[in-house]
Amino acid sequence: MNSVVAGITYRAVLGRRRVFLLLLLPLVLIGLALLLRAVGSTDERATVTLMQVYAIGTMLPLLGLIAGTGTIAPEIDDGTIIHLLSKPISRPVIATTKFAVAASMLALFAAVPTFIAAYLLIGDEAGIASGFAVGALVGGIAYAAVFLLLGVVTRHAVTIGIIYAVVWENLIGGYVPGARNFSIQQWAQTFAAQITTSGFFKATVGMGFAVPAVLIVTIGSVVWAGQRLRSLSLTGDA
Amino acid sequence: MSEPLPATGPKAAPTGVIHDIGYRHYEGPRLGRGHALAALTLHSLRGVFGLGRAARGKIMPFLLAGAMMLPAVVSIAIMALVKQQAIPYAGYTVTMQAVLAVFLAAQSPYLVAPDLRFRVLPLYLSRPTTTADYVVAKLSAMAIALFLLMAVPLTVLYLGELLVDLPGPPHTHDYIAAMVISIVYAVLLSAVGVALASFTPRRGLGVAAVIAVYLLTSAISGVLVGVLSSVSRDSAATWAWLINPFFLVDAVQVWIFGTRPNNDGGYPPGVGGPVAALAVLVIIALGVTALVLRYRKAASS
Repeated sequence: MNSVVAGITYRAVLGRRRVFLLLLLPLVLIGLALLLRAVGSTDERATVTLMQVYAIGTMLPLLGLIAGTGTIAPEIDDGTIIHLLSKPISRPVIATTKFAVAASMLALFAAVPTFIAAYLLIGDEAGIASGFAVGALVGGIAYAAVFLLLGVVTRHAVTIGIIYAVVWENLIGGYVPGARNFSIQQWAQTFAAQITTSGFFKATVGMGFAVPAVLIVTIGSVVWAGQRLRSLSLTGDA
Repeated sequence: MSEPLPATGPKAAPTGVIHDIGYRHYEGPRLGRGHALAALTLHSLRGVFGLGRAARGKIMPFLLAGAMMLPAVVSIAIMALVKQQAIPYAGYTVTMQAVLAVFLAAQSPYLVAPDLRFRVLPLYLSRPTTTADYVVAKLSAMAIALFLLMAVPLTVLYLGELLVDLPGPPHTHDYIAAMVISIVYAVLLSAVGVALASFTPRRGLGVAAVIAVYLLTSAISGVLVGVLSSVSRDSAATWAWLINPFFLVDAVQVWIFGTRPNNDGGYPPGVGGPVAALAVLVIIALGVTALVLRYRKAASS
């Protein structure tokens, strides 16, 4: 961890237009919660739908994509990463710092609003609010690591990331049950299901698979990103 | 530029001379604005599919175009085997909406971001091309690309149906309806996608912004439909479907061509169809206006 690198990264991600997207998604979540409250749908089932479809199914991968790739991909794109890499800081430390920044963004912009939205609807009944907040936190950390790695490995990180999130997790995961085992949002739901006692919600992936999967994916991605940074080549891309 | 320079004094000698150092002059016909517009459109359209770019730029568009073809091929195989229509024409685009959205998100920043990022807009505008021409060229390139993405599988599917010769008359009406609605899809999606992408010179952020808007609308619509139908407020749920742009256009198709709705529960009856059509027009107008304003500003900076 390097506090200067972290500071620069925070400024780069939170500056300019990127922060609008980071703010828009959780604000819509809270807006939807208020809307459901206004129309009187404040039961467990509505809350679980909101959490599953919007908070975990849409907001989390998108925020992971924006924060995860946003911490490093623009710098590689511009070539300004060379200034950072030429400093006497070990490359794995740079990767770890960028990952920590992305993960903290996801905790702030995904996990906290998830808790607030669920709490607005039903308080902490059946542990839904805290369960999904923990799920969003764990899923957010895994997404941050994976998308950070993608940002280091390829110039088309965002496109490949949305293909993973939209086509693999949502489209193929919707039809092929086996695909759900390799889906970060399903792992997030597994963690949520551990805490909540709601009868309207059941995770499809077992805890025995999800815990090692999250650990391996997160640690593996950060380590690999650090190794990739050691031999990064800045080539043009038409 | 045509104004005479202020006289600096009677004896001021000329400070600079343009020498003719013998480059060959262009003496061919000057083709003018319309030709420039057509050339820019064609160049952009080729670029959307990665033609004229490195091999890496071709992977994504052709992969997604291939994914669009897949259901058509499978459907023809099913028709040949069990003599029954597998995927209705009217539902093709709605079924494949995720692939179209990813294509739009991945390729529309390519159309606009590099020109903004490398500040080459003045080079275009120093030609007979105007900002409006530039916007029209980029929009039509994206619209044509999206139309091809929908029309080619539909046409293949129709040809397949004619060849397999299903019992009963061919679904020509449905096919024509789907083709006409594909134009509406193409114009609506390209107006929104290109407008959003033009607000950032960064390709990655543009991709994220376009897909975020699609996922936002589809998730909001999904949550509201799920919650409203679970409490049996079905008429409100039919309106909630319209938040997703793909179902919005599908509602227009149902209204104009009388096809079967491609969602569970249908669309608002009566006034719903005209409202959906009006919404489509308003969104297109907003997208185009945003683009024109954006480029008026970008051209002057």
